[in-house]
Amino acid sequence: MNKSLKKKLESDFDSSVEILEKNGWTITANKNQVLDILRFLKGEGFDYLALISCVDWIEKGEFELIYILSSYLADKEKMHLILKTRIPRKKPDFETTIHIFENAEPYERELHELFGVNFNGHPRLEPLFLDRNYKTPPFRKDFDTRKYVEETFGSIKSVEGKK
Amino acid sequence: MIIKIVEIIAIPVLAFLVGIFFLGLSRRIMARIHWRYGPPITQPIIDIIRFSYQESVSHGVIFDLGIIFSLAASIAVVLFIPLGGMCALSSSGGLLVILYLMLLIPLGVALSSGEGANPNISIGISRKLILSLGYEVPLILILLTLMTRYGTISIADIVSQQGSGWTIFSVPLFMSGIAYFLILPAILEIRPFDMASAPQEISSGHKVEYGGKYLAIITIEHAFTLFIGLALFVDLFLGGASNPLFFFIKMLVVFILCIFINAVFPRFRIDQAIRYLWKWPTALALAGLIATSVMW
Amino acid sequence: MDRNQITKWIKNPKKMGSKYSLWAIYFCTGCGIIEIPPILTSRWDAERFGIKPAPSPRQANLFLITGYVTLKTLKAVVRTYEQMPDPKYTVGFGSCPINGGMYWDSYNTIKKLDKYIPIDGWIAGCMPRPESIFIAVTHLWTMIDKGIADGYEKYKEKYFYYRKNQEKALGELDWPPLHPMKKKEEGQ
Repeated sequence: MNKSLKKKLESDFDSSVEILEKNGWTITANKNQVLDILRFLKGEGFDYLALISCVDWIEKGEFELIYILSSYLADKEKMHLILKTRIPRKKPDFETTIHIFENAEPYERELHELFGVNFNGHPRLEPLFLDRNYKTPPFRKDFDTRKYVEETFGSIKSVEGKK
Repeated sequence: MIIKIVEIIAIPVLAFLVGIFFLGLSRRIMARIHWRYGPPITQPIIDIIRFSYQESVSHGVIFDLGIIFSLAASIAVVLFIPLGGMCALSSSGGLLVILYLMLLIPLGVALSSGEGANPNISIGISRKLILSLGYEVPLILILLTLMTRYGTISIADIVSQQGSGWTIFSVPLFMSGIAYFLILPAILEIRPFDMASAPQEISSGHKVEYGGKYLAIITIEHAFTLFIGLALFVDLFLGGASNPLFFFIKMLVVFILCIFINAVFPRFRIDQAIRYLWKWPTALALAGLIATSVMW
Repeated sequence: MDRNQITKWIKNPKKMGSKYSLWAIYFCTGCGIIEIPPILTSRWDAERFGIKPAPSPRQANLFLITGYVTLKTLKAVVRTYEQMPDPKYTVGFGSCPINGGMYWDSYNTIKKLDKYIPIDGWIAGCMPRPESIFIAVTHLWTMIDKGIADGYEKYKEKYFYYRKNQEKALGELDWPPLHPMKKKEEGQ
């Protein structure tokens, strides 16, 4: 089964499969085909989306979106798949995957808040964890945390010396 | 006359001291059951001193007056219960007056704490009022049984008529005694019936908005409630006592049994509590009432 | 412990009462809250010192801030602190309220809690052992004896500066000022 899955993924879609260990694969795909691959994999039995995450490749000017899927089938072995795509960093737009996996909603909200990635079609892109708006989203590599801390918290004077 | 006035002043003070001693003793015994040292026995007095020196936040006039109303009702109930050889107002009413006045205690707290706008208060106070409705039904049946057997409503008479054998050992009335002991944890508000002020669940229910002085008054009133429940049991079923020292020793024995029940049980829900209180204790009390009215 | 000396109680019951009955508000701030249940249970018993967990800020005396404080938590901390009745004592537990601790360069946590509410003492460590809370409590007793644990009075006097700091960190506050804000003129 595994051999045929690998062959089908490499031939039908424009992707390359790399086998890291027996039960964990990495699939690198084109950004236009991500939704088709996800639908196909859900039909194959990978019906649990564990995480959506993002990596900031600042030298190449790209964001890399990562989807981690896993299968809990009883008659086959448990497998994890990691699906990677790259989107441009200047204008990070992508499609939402809520109609395939419904639990993608809070992950996409988190990525919008912390990285600035825009997901078209998401019903509710509001802040989830943070309390305020930042000029550059805080998880990007060009957000200087020490300078920010210096400006915001270092400028507040302590009350001890005042009379 | 002078003796009467001295008794009316001394009996609430003595009841307060006994109640506070029982509160501290309960914390110490529970700690020893948990294999640790506990606070000293005078810890509730230290708590009351600390509460009265803290500033308190008031929510209006009824917030202040309702708690005084409840404290006054509890002091009034104490005056009708004979304590050893002394009884302050023994010849005026007795059992019927106690039955009326005991229900004013949770009503006063409900008036007062309803002024705060916290939703935890309404949950806590509704549980407290429903619980007092729950134990009133078997309590009325038990007191009617005693009134039928001894033919009087004065508690001092009942105590003096038990000179020839305690009530709990006489034949149809032992069922009422067992029924009263089964509802005693609900009157004292110890586990399994302490859902009214559940500190872990609803942030201590009706006590959540009480600051400094109000919390001191509620602790004093908790001490009086402990005294009332135990003293009624000792007077009506265990023969009272001829001097306060033996009375106190009998109360201590009953209280330690209740503390052992407190250490073992978890907390009931309010509907489980009502289902329990209206089933077996009510059935036992009703059986006792029917048997007593047939025999006497 | 001088809990049994009656003359001290008669001379100054307010001080002795607030020493030996410290009810700690059960506010679970950060990762340090995992050290509080071992204190309250059988092995390291805190009830023999008179410490009990209080379910409501109106009944409490002692505020233990047990870990890092984010901006959202700071709003809740300030509101809880203002609801507690006087006299009240705060203890910063762990190294995060002291100077930021492990999160010293984070965009979301505050670095020095002393700028926003007054703190009487700190306990260093990440996390301290449960026994260090008892050492801190006995140290707090000596401070209360000498009269130098007066964080709540400092809050009343210098409320203008505390509120200004809180507004700088949190933005617009939606509760009115608790004490009258009077700014002392320079050179007075």
